[in-house]
Amino acid sequence: MDYREPKLLPGDLAIWLFIFMELLVFGLFFIVYAVMRIQNIEMFNHYQLTLNRELGAANTLLLITSSYFVVRAVHAIRVDNVKKCIYWIYAALATGAGFLILKSVEYSDTFAAGINLSTNMFYMFYLSLTLFHFLHVILGMLILFAVAIKAQRGAYSAQNHTGVETGASYWHMVDLVWIILFPLVYIIR
Amino acid sequence: MIQYLIKNYYNVHAIWLLMMLLTVSTYFIGRLGYSGAIITLFLLVTAAIKGSLIIRDFMELKGVSLAWQLIMYGWLWVVCLAIAVAYLIGLTL
Repeated sequence: MDYREPKLLPGDLAIWLFIFMELLVFGLFFIVYAVMRIQNIEMFNHYQLTLNRELGAANTLLLITSSYFVVRAVHAIRVDNVKKCIYWIYAALATGAGFLILKSVEYSDTFAAGINLSTNMFYMFYLSLTLFHFLHVILGMLILFAVAIKAQRGAYSAQNHTGVETGASYWHMVDLVWIILFPLVYIIR
Repeated sequence: MIQYLIKNYYNVHAIWLLMMLLTVSTYFIGRLGYSGAIITLFLLVTAAIKGSLIIRDFMELKGVSLAWQLIMYGWLWVVCLAIAVAYLIGLTL
């Protein structure tokens, strides 16, 4: 059997260590939510119905699409197409901004209804989990924006695009977390 | 036939479309008010499939070291399993 050398991780190792730590925190958060729900099923089910499921679903579609755009950016730079790489990163940023806008609309409705972190346990989890993720979307977008600026300055090519892969990996992690968060908080009952 | 389909249609575009459709199905399950053990397991398997596609084909971890694949897929499936177990325990109380 021919032994095939494992492929290198895309991007910097440092970002993967950071991704791993973030996933541990989110994973723990999800499990604590699921365990705390055991003792409060009626309450969780009741208040879950007050969430805006349409915005949650639309945001999932936006993040998946944004992640797909970033894949296109990585593929473009690998064939030395810098222009297209920049184009796809800005498309990803636009869809990411769409996520932030929809999320802000959702939060403004929530806070306008007088709901906050201390209203009850369900809302405490809903707000803290989604706000924590919201901050990661912003950080991910800052990283992508920095990559776009460097790409515009000619920093990346088919031979040298680790930075693009690094930004892409982090952005995919932001999407991966939301893929679980959405059904867990908005749908499962 | 399956090999033909995979060879010719398994790409990031098809994966994006599949994940969009799976998301729409998740939404309508919520919209129609379905609940219970079977539905929840379906939702979690759906999330795990989407997560696996992101790890394998968007993050491009296919072919990297076994350790990193175990870390990423392990995280995904352990979290989904733990949520499923917690949910099932909740049903028995």
